[in-house]
Amino acid sequence: MSDATLPNRAEAPKGAETPRKTKGEFARFVERFLEDRVAVFGLGLISIIVLLALFAPLIAPQNPYDLARVDIMDSRQPPGAKALEGFTLWLGSDGVGRDLWSGILYGLRISLVVGLASGMIAACLGLCVGLIAAYFGGRIENVIMRIVDLQLSLPSVLVALILVALLGKGVDKIILALVVVQWAYYARTVRGSALVERRKEYVEAARSLGLSHTRTMLRHILPNCLAPVIVIATVQTAHAISLEATLSFLGVGLPQTEPSLGVLISNGFQYMLSGKYWISFFPGVALLLTIVAINLVGDRLRDVLNPRLEK
Amino acid sequence: MTITRRSLALVGALLAGFASMPPGAAAAQELKIGLAAEPSSADPHFHNLTPNNQVARHIFETLISQDEFQRLGVGLAQSWKIIDDLTWEFALRPGVKFHDGSSFTADDVIFSFNRVPNVPKSPAPKTSFVRGKTLEKVNDLTLRIKTATPYPLMLNDLANIEIMSAKAAANATTEDLNAGKGTVGTGPYQFVEFVPGDRFALKRNDSHWAGKPIWERVTFRFIKSDPTRVAALLSGDVDMIENVPSADVARLRTDNRVAVTSALSNRLIYLHMDRLRDDSPFAKAKDGSAIRNPFNDLKVRQALSMALNRQAIVDRIMEGEAVVASQLLPDIYEGTSRNLKPVPYNVDGARKLLAEAGLPNGFSLTIHGPNGRYPNDTKVIEAVAQMFTRVGIETRVETLPPAVFFSRASTGGPNRTPEFSMILAGWSAGTGEVSGSLGPLLGTFDAQAGIGSANRGRYSNPKVDELLRKALSTVNDSDRAKLLAEGTEVAINDVGLIPIYYNKNTWAARRGLKVLGRTDEYTLAMSVTR
Repeated sequence: MSDATLPNRAEAPKGAETPRKTKGEFARFVERFLEDRVAVFGLGLISIIVLLALFAPLIAPQNPYDLARVDIMDSRQPPGAKALEGFTLWLGSDGVGRDLWSGILYGLRISLVVGLASGMIAACLGLCVGLIAAYFGGRIENVIMRIVDLQLSLPSVLVALILVALLGKGVDKIILALVVVQWAYYARTVRGSALVERRKEYVEAARSLGLSHTRTMLRHILPNCLAPVIVIATVQTAHAISLEATLSFLGVGLPQTEPSLGVLISNGFQYMLSGKYWISFFPGVALLLTIVAINLVGDRLRDVLNPRLEK
Repeated sequence: MTITRRSLALVGALLAGFASMPPGAAAAQELKIGLAAEPSSADPHFHNLTPNNQVARHIFETLISQDEFQRLGVGLAQSWKIIDDLTWEFALRPGVKFHDGSSFTADDVIFSFNRVPNVPKSPAPKTSFVRGKTLEKVNDLTLRIKTATPYPLMLNDLANIEIMSAKAAANATTEDLNAGKGTVGTGPYQFVEFVPGDRFALKRNDSHWAGKPIWERVTFRFIKSDPTRVAALLSGDVDMIENVPSADVARLRTDNRVAVTSALSNRLIYLHMDRLRDDSPFAKAKDGSAIRNPFNDLKVRQALSMALNRQAIVDRIMEGEAVVASQLLPDIYEGTSRNLKPVPYNVDGARKLLAEAGLPNGFSLTIHGPNGRYPNDTKVIEAVAQMFTRVGIETRVETLPPAVFFSRASTGGPNRTPEFSMILAGWSAGTGEVSGSLGPLLGTFDAQAGIGSANRGRYSNPKVDELLRKALSTVNDSDRAKLLAEGTEVAINDVGLIPIYYNKNTWAARRGLKVLGRTDEYTLAMSVTR
């Protein structure tokens, strides 16, 4: 076992020992986060993207999932052309006549839903498993962590590809596949922090008061392990979004008639050499901006929440 | 009897044709061709698949040849006569040598015919081409073939059997042939090497009976990805490519470094409807409740055909690289109907027919199809779904990897029945005439007799079966063609399937090369001249 490397004597961060944070600390956290202009830019970008996705049906000139609205006579129009129904195709249209701006707005919804849902489910699962491993130790920990090791040693795209191929198409199946490839990251992270916490006096105090294992784990240890999980969660959400796009690009993700960003990019791929760049380009930019924005916020969160980088 | 030859309309203009030769081309005696799909073996009898057959055509020859329109002509058989309804006599070409120097005789033909049904692990054998034929050697260069019943498609079948050397290939397995052991034919090119996943290399057969071929070496490179194949041509990595993506055709036509050739293909893209069940699993009422299988009503089938704007699919999705279809094969082929015209696009008419059929509000339907088997297949299905939605049929699309799709579409349902309600698929007539499409696609399914092998809708019409049976025992060409045309008209007017379009095959070659386009999709070095 790897107990020898336990950072048992690591200096506990200030304030980390009291499970509940005060309002003042949260304000300080916000303040520190906002110190970085790039992170604020990222946060602003995320807000815009979320709002666009949320209000897509109101903003988009066309419902790209409604086949009665999409007309092949509009196919492959360059940006700025007029559609048969009269609205302007600001970003052009794809090979079957779908307005790309509408397609991107709806595609963002899928990307965000897939990213957040799979991230949250995987986080809950990983948290529980990681906590149990760290708290009980011994054989339970051994078994769990070897499964985690095994999972992490396989390339996530490959695992997800096989799972989706077996499960079939659909948003729910993609989310399930992404949960399977992601939970191990959370489990490993939580277990690391929980190992440190469970040797601290406050845990011993809680135990000697006769509190149950569950209560000790959830009310006392868990809150002190959350900081790294939040950081991992942002990074993994971005990862999940790009993984969904990869799967859809490879043709196993989502159905053609309900395109996500990955499907839109893959649809345009065959036109890249023929000069019709916009079919892949704009969905690609949307995907890029989403992922970069989330990562910018994630980076800043890591800096702010990392006690070792505290001034 | 001599083979009657129709003068056929020339479809698919040859665009290559430049007087000047690019500098340096005279020195280059090698032709490098980028193929979209690679052969699964160098054994010509192993797998009846276009990529295999087209490479095999260089090394091996057949008794009967097919030209670029699949018209039959002399091959290793120099002439033939019909002794009686059941006996054909073939005079073999004298003086033909195999690549190893041995002479070609009737024994090699008999060896090859015996080998065809006995290739182990063959995924798609050519057995149907030799079935029911008894070979009899008269002398070294004369051969008789007997059948139990009159068999008019004799020559079409013979055009599909590659003749191997009885001596060189006597005990050769498929693996041996892949490695070049016994890969000996009479063809214009000789086997050099086959590297799966990379290339198939050939060299010239200097002593070919028809004269020395113009290319000293020919290399087929396998480049599956469409953009990569185009890029390989533009960068000069290969001299010529097949299956030019339709998205690039327009641009390549204006590029003066390359010339694009296209030829009408014998491949029909069509929709097949479930006629097997009373309630079809993917055709439901809009609220999801079960309804009577709508495809059993002729009015619904006619409405679906009317709902398709075929010209729009050809123009907008295929970018002109297809031709609107009215029947099973383009009407340059034997046995096609002159009376059938493409069903005109008529949304109101389709709605009216649906209402008359008791479905004024339409129904909900999922169309299944392959992704990546035919050019633009997914987009075409999506376009079809758009058009059906416009007449009130709530249509969803599900595309599957081709291998998965075809096995489920053929045998995925209970008791190995077809699984889906409506599929999009493609079919090309290997025989180069209508019975090769009508029988497999619309003949009543009978696994024993080998009829309806691709009838994934299980359409069944006694009148069509009767006409088909009669045609297949009529040796007179024009009588047979008439029967087949009549059978086609019955089946198409009954909407046994919905024809959408005929593909076009496209090739692009560097400037200075002339490519003769073929309807059978084969990419042959013999079709390329300077």
